[in-house]
Amino acid sequence: MTTPSETTLSLLQLQQTVQRMVTNHATQNVWVTAELSDVAERGGHCYMELIQKDDDGITTVAKARATIWANNWPRIRTQFMQSTGQRFATGLKVMVRVSVSYHPVYGMTMVISAVNPDYTMGDMLRRRREILMRLHNEGILEMNRSLEFPCPTLRIAVISAPEAAGYGDFMHQLYGNGYNLRFNTKLYPAIMQGEKAASSVIAALDRIASDGDSWDCVVIIRGGGSTSDLSSFENYELASNVAQFPLPIIVGIGHERDITVLDYVACQRVKTPTAAAEFLLNLACEELDRLRTLTSDILRVANECISGAREQLAYFGGQLPVAPVGTIHRAERRLNAATLSLATICPRRIQPLHARIELYGNAITTAVTAAIDRHRSRLETIKQVLDAISPEATLRRGYSITSCRGKIITDPASVHHGDEIVTQFASGTIQSTVR
Amino acid sequence: MTDNMEFTPAKELSYTKAVAELEAILRHMQSDECDIDSLTTLTRRASELLLECRKRLTATDEELKSILSSFDVKE
Repeated sequence: MTTPSETTLSLLQLQQTVQRMVTNHATQNVWVTAELSDVAERGGHCYMELIQKDDDGITTVAKARATIWANNWPRIRTQFMQSTGQRFATGLKVMVRVSVSYHPVYGMTMVISAVNPDYTMGDMLRRRREILMRLHNEGILEMNRSLEFPCPTLRIAVISAPEAAGYGDFMHQLYGNGYNLRFNTKLYPAIMQGEKAASSVIAALDRIASDGDSWDCVVIIRGGGSTSDLSSFENYELASNVAQFPLPIIVGIGHERDITVLDYVACQRVKTPTAAAEFLLNLACEELDRLRTLTSDILRVANECISGAREQLAYFGGQLPVAPVGTIHRAERRLNAATLSLATICPRRIQPLHARIELYGNAITTAVTAAIDRHRSRLETIKQVLDAISPEATLRRGYSITSCRGKIITDPASVHHGDEIVTQFASGTIQSTVR
Repeated sequence: MTDNMEFTPAKELSYTKAVAELEAILRHMQSDECDIDSLTTLTRRASELLLECRKRLTATDEELKSILSSFDVKE
């Protein structure tokens, strides 16, 4: 049993000794690389754990409390955000300038006065690029991303921590949607932070896959927690599983700028669980809109068909009394036109005939006259001949004709004594009595 | 489309097929081939398909209530 003596120290004395030993030149303003954990902001200060894992990336081999006081925090925060596009958050590898401080009550803490964002950037990108390159080389990087959401997407397998506020947000958003959309969800519970997160999510994916085609898509969500330890999702195995999963996957595990490798391989990336629900709601609402458009289009087209037919009927109705009259008019006009053309065509045809007939007429007249003249001259000749041989001509030449009782005497024996005979001369007659 | 008016019952069609048929009906109705005789049949078929599609997308209030009551949201 040891009793208090001069060699015995009070706790404060011991702590002060430690404080003196710890706080020396070698521990002040040293650049240190570490991983951030449990980053939290309180009262303008930023508190965190700095950790280091061994080469397998699983076992923690060093851990220390660290603080950025409010006089430095806004500047460091802004600068870090601008350089890396990331919040100064859990899971990141950082290079920080620390001074070890030791407080007799609060123990050891590392006061950070500067951060080198380039280191974080480089490490983050390098790790992610390695994973993405490997997925690319294996030809699976684009597999899930090139999937299309089925139509409609209503059956949703959810991977989340059952107690997570993010899951509640998601479900509330999805079912309180006011469109009465018929979503069907099932929770496949998984551990969503820490070292077991990746294998737990992979196991949940396997369970979903074994449920066959019960689901249209998978939603992986987390969030709502104060810390966002996303580094556990920067995991090749998990990324490979997500990339090759046969259903489209929606990933909503980060906040705003927090990007993990899953955001590069999942079919759809959203910022929050609520956004995941909104995305699904939008898909379904688009489908509802499509139905609505189809409904109104079909209605409109049917009405157009009917009113078109009605107009056509009305037109026919109007044409019915008019059409026969019109037909008759048209026939009349055609007849008139035919008559007119006949009137012009006929003379044109007849005129040459007329001319020919005229020619014939003249020719006939000429021919007739000639014939008549010919006959007349022949008659004249005959007459002259006749005249020459006529009794009168003979009488004029000195001959005479003697007749008895009207009969011309050619034989003197035919005349008897006492007969009265008449002798005709050209210029008269003599009556004589035969003796 | 109008020559053979035998339709698969809407309930037996997948949603995608039902919507595809709806679009085909619309296209047919917009074409010059659609006659008034088939219009009634087509419109009736379209409304049957639309009803079925809408039913698959949306739940009735009663169904929703039962879903919500069975879903125990952990805050």
